Amino acid sequence: MKDAIISARGLARSYSRGSEQVHALRATDLSIGRGEFISIVGPSGSGKSTLLHLLGLLETPSAGSISLGGREMIGLKERDLVKERRGSIGFVFQQFLLLPTLTVEENIELPLLFSRKPVSKDRIAGIMEMLELSHRARHLPHQLSGGEMQRVSIGRALVNEPRVIMADEPTGNLDTATADKIYSLFKKLNQGGLSLIVVTHNMELAGKADRVIRLRDGRIISD
Amino acid sequence: MNIFSLAAKNLMRRHVRTVLTVAGVAIAIAVLFSLLSFNAGYERQLGGELNSLGIHMLAVPKGCPYEAASLIIHGGVIPKYLSYSDLEHVQKIDGIEVASPMLLHQFFKDDKPHIVYGINIEEQKALKPWWKVEGRYFNDDETGVMIVGRSLADKENLKVGQVLDFGPDKAPTTIVGILERTGNQDDEFHFLPLGAAQRVFGKEGQLTTIAIKVKDLSKISDISKKLEQIPDIQVVTMTQVMGTIMNLVGSAQALLFSVIIIALFISAVGIINTLIMSVNERTREFGMMKAVGASGWDVSRLIVIETLIITLAGCAVGLLVALVGSKLVEGFVRGVIPYSPGGELISIDPLLILVCIGFALAIGLLCSIYPAVRCARLTPMEAMRSDLE
Repeated sequence: MKDAIISARGLARSYSRGSEQVHALRATDLSIGRGEFISIVGPSGSGKSTLLHLLGLLETPSAGSISLGGREMIGLKERDLVKERRGSIGFVFQQFLLLPTLTVEENIELPLLFSRKPVSKDRIAGIMEMLELSHRARHLPHQLSGGEMQRVSIGRALVNEPRVIMADEPTGNLDTATADKIYSLFKKLNQGGLSLIVVTHNMELAGKADRVIRLRDGRIISD
Repeated sequence: MNIFSLAAKNLMRRHVRTVLTVAGVAIAIAVLFSLLSFNAGYERQLGGELNSLGIHMLAVPKGCPYEAASLIIHGGVIPKYLSYSDLEHVQKIDGIEVASPMLLHQFFKDDKPHIVYGINIEEQKALKPWWKVEGRYFNDDETGVMIVGRSLADKENLKVGQVLDFGPDKAPTTIVGILERTGNQDDEFHFLPLGAAQRVFGKEGQLTTIAIKVKDLSKISDISKKLEQIPDIQVVTMTQVMGTIMNLVGSAQALLFSVIIIALFISAVGIINTLIMSVNERTREFGMMKAVGASGWDVSRLIVIETLIITLAGCAVGLLVALVGSKLVEGFVRGVIPYSPGGELISIDPLLILVCIGFALAIGLLCSIYPAVRCARLTPMEAMRSDLE
């Protein structure tokens, strides 16, 4: 195992649905090394997205602990969690979630607005060039293809120079060829030293990662 | 890109809705500003008009003294008269500097009312030292002469030296002077020597009022009590006249204020509705923003700024409409209030503009608090999963 960038112990998430108690994730231990490319797979309702959201500090676990870069996250105040999300994690969503009134360039810049970092036009241009979006810089999301929108979403995740990219079904809305390109991009980013955790249904794409974690019924069944 | 441009772009996403909300705020602010401006302008003009009468109190026939006083100031005729013996009684009271008898008469020409004042010129000059005349003043014992106000002269195209057929008997009357503009009701009147006016209108020995100027303002109350001991006389001080008129106007203002409160309430409900709809539609986006590093404060700030843009834009449009439409508003309020002084009734005061801007800011902040706080409290995943209600 490489140096752990994220580790979780006894991580669990349950919630009430009417009178029923749903255990989305049961006591889970996990360690993710620096520079790893991990796929999390499993059927719908297996808890893979819940695991990703907990590791990404997007929701609060019902039990367990999460350590990010050696620092315990449970019990931190919201403002400290915000700092960690800004500085350490970049998120990519299945539905892209781009702001429709912002251009490609502005969507990529958006996290800098919240992290109060100065906007480096060169850096934004560099990200767009790497993502092959330079010619689309002034375009609005509705003028883009699905693959282009997801690349913008990846650019937005990269702009704060995170330690890890977390992607939730990033190819769920894309055709096979485009999905392949997105995975190739992930591979390229990983080769540059970035850690990646990608949730997917697609076993073929999952196989391109260094490590595949399988979940079922809220538990890790293979790693 | 900054938080303001982001907020502005968000608002333009539903531009029809945004424009309608801005219009709602604009209407409320325009009405608020117009009423506040009118209130300030009205009091100032009324005070100025009463001061410009140059008198401290009026002796009028017993009856309804305040109504009589209003009519006299505005130019009207009351059906009761004082006599010269009343004038003698008044003149005997200590502390009175000038007691000037006047006769008012109204006649119609081309369906328009004209007001005639019969006056003693030297006493009037003492009461109104700012009077200046083109031509000359008349003497009290002259007949067939008159002075006219500047506005009246302009409207009727009257010149010094012109001879008019005046009064019920169409007696030839020469305009010997035209008053320089005073800015008050005097600009609209005809002035005749008192004796001549009484003869022309068949009111010999009759007086409509006695205008009184006292030597010492602190003695007004004592002098007023002494005057009231004279049979047939009631006394109205200018302070009382102003208070009475303001009370009469107050009821009209209360009606207008209630309309404004309803307009503002509707506007506020509209803004809150728009905001909640807008926040509901974008809950997932706010979740995304939090996931990429926005804090609850960032999201709240964005919602508050969007609201303030709407309310301040509405405020700017409303103020512009109110400034441009002030003449229309003035015409409207003149129609609904019982007494309106001359001059500009709408007073454009920078302080009132600040009050309206402050009010718009307050409405914006109040309306945005609920959706902003609600959205700020959600975790990123709660926001991305749920639809707010």
